Amino acid sequence: MAHHHVTSADIAINGDHLDSSKVSKVKSIALGVAAIGTVVSLYLLFLAPEKIQGTYAYSWLYAFYLFLTLSIGGVFWVLLHNVSNASWGTSVRRVFENIGATFPWMFLFCIPLLTPHVQHYLYEWMNIHRAAPGDVKEYLHHHDHLLYNKYWFMNRTFWYGRVAFYAIVFSGVIIGLRKLSTDQDTDPNPGTWRLLKARYHSNYPLIIFALTITFTGFDFAMGLDYTWFSTMWGVYLFAGAALNSMAVGVLVCTWLKSKGHLKHVAGPEQFHVMGKLMFAFTVFWAYITFSQFFLIWYANITEETKYFLIRNTGNWNTAMYFLLFGHFVVPFVVLLQAWLKRNPKLLSIVAIYTLCMHALDHYLIIIPERGISLGKINPEVFGDIQVSIPGAFWGDIFAFITIGAAFVFFLLRALGQHSLYPNRDPRILESANASN
Amino acid sequence: MSTTRKRVYGYLAEFKSASALYKGAEKIRDAGFRKWDCYSPYPIHGLDGAMGLKRSILPWFVFFGGMTGTATAFALAYTTQVVIYPTVVQSKPANIFTVPAFFPIMFELTILFSGFTVLFGLLALIQLPRLNHPLFASRQFHRATDDGFFIAIEARDPKFSPNGTRDLLAGIGGANIELVEEED
Repeated sequence: MAHHHVTSADIAINGDHLDSSKVSKVKSIALGVAAIGTVVSLYLLFLAPEKIQGTYAYSWLYAFYLFLTLSIGGVFWVLLHNVSNASWGTSVRRVFENIGATFPWMFLFCIPLLTPHVQHYLYEWMNIHRAAPGDVKEYLHHHDHLLYNKYWFMNRTFWYGRVAFYAIVFSGVIIGLRKLSTDQDTDPNPGTWRLLKARYHSNYPLIIFALTITFTGFDFAMGLDYTWFSTMWGVYLFAGAALNSMAVGVLVCTWLKSKGHLKHVAGPEQFHVMGKLMFAFTVFWAYITFSQFFLIWYANITEETKYFLIRNTGNWNTAMYFLLFGHFVVPFVVLLQAWLKRNPKLLSIVAIYTLCMHALDHYLIIIPERGISLGKINPEVFGDIQVSIPGAFWGDIFAFITIGAAFVFFLLRALGQHSLYPNRDPRILESANASN
Repeated sequence: MSTTRKRVYGYLAEFKSASALYKGAEKIRDAGFRKWDCYSPYPIHGLDGAMGLKRSILPWFVFFGGMTGTATAFALAYTTQVVIYPTVVQSKPANIFTVPAFFPIMFELTILFSGFTVLFGLLALIQLPRLNHPLFASRQFHRATDDGFFIAIEARDPKFSPNGTRDLLAGIGGANIELVEEED
């Protein structure tokens, strides 16, 4: 409690910049891994034997969407900080702006998913649309009434339009807000107008955010099986995204502090708040996940239950139980301790653990669909419908490392571009002296 | 005329601001007093640290209270729905795998029991409700709910001395120092 009261003398007048020479090695390794991995991935997706192309399409989708949720969550925390007029987070806001700033780059990894070649293995509804002779809607009217009813939403033009919307509009939100924030660092007379402008331009983007997290989930993940639907889907993905980008934020802040940055402005109080938010979203994730499961379990409607039937067949069942305890019970009990949340090192261990659980969560969202869809598309190549395709998980690990390395690279790049905290923000001292 | 015996409760001193109260509290904490308290019209951030207060034991009561709620709800639902009167709905199992149906009840009773433990645990720890407090004998103390900041050091503190404590309070900026006596 009796900590030093931070005054303007403690704030770096020209900003607290990351020493690029110290991170250049990690950055080049990450870039190298990502670049080589991407080239190999393109080979695996387009030129390799068909069996690998099909299984790797799922690996790529898994890794792409997993890391995209982290970027989307980073934008969410920036928006929330601005609209809620919070003062505690001013000192760590830049970290979340930088996590969010990876979004436009991370979204580039969906380019293979835009080609009919890869879509063929993932999205059966597109195959039906593409195979339809003549007018698609007319054909569906007579042959597939479910897809006919969903035609207004599930048609290729609208699908590509939505993807363009996420890429352009949501990128625009974070690029604009980050520029507004970083311009302040060099303004000799910053004033408060940026604060008000950022608040104003964070309210309607919350709607854009909600649309992005919900409908990227619909388009990329739920669309894997066009017969299945869940209205909890968007909020379920949101809970995981917000929790885990906060975990990334905790890791980045701990790392920066260990390198001597964020001195004076981020201490136990800020980590305590971030830990509390992790705790809150651990509970929220469990609440939403259970709500989704519970409604489906109770109603017992064939189209809805298949999601859980698939994920409780074979060894997926063990993984689902592991997720229940690992993603909720364990972090819930651990994060209850107040002293632990005030200790950056211990909180970082919890953050790494949470991110592992997030990787498992998304694995269980995407991958169980693989053996079934591929078995339906081409049993001669992929084998009959099966619980999982043997050996395919090597591709999952490879895609995870490739896109993960890219995420690390773009995050480090963003961190190195500007001061690590908004040193001329009118509320930086209020934030540095926050107490909770 | 009356021969009422008086017992000394302790010294009451007024401080002119929240900041003065905070700084005064730090001095009294460092002087090693144990039986004393601060009174302010509103909560002051960090005052618990300035007073050297330890973390409350209440969260532990609440944790075990909540766990009791979870266990109670599970026992209640399991006994009635599985053991005594197995309720089969839509051919769902009536065994341990019925547990998803019990989760809302388990959740609610966890919250209810936690809430009860918070309320009654807190009342027990702060010794409320009570009919009177010795400090109410002071003529100035009612201002603690309006615009007064006070520190009271009790006579039962081992470090208390009639002159030393008065001088200490005066030395750290206490005004209107008053020896409060309670009626026995």
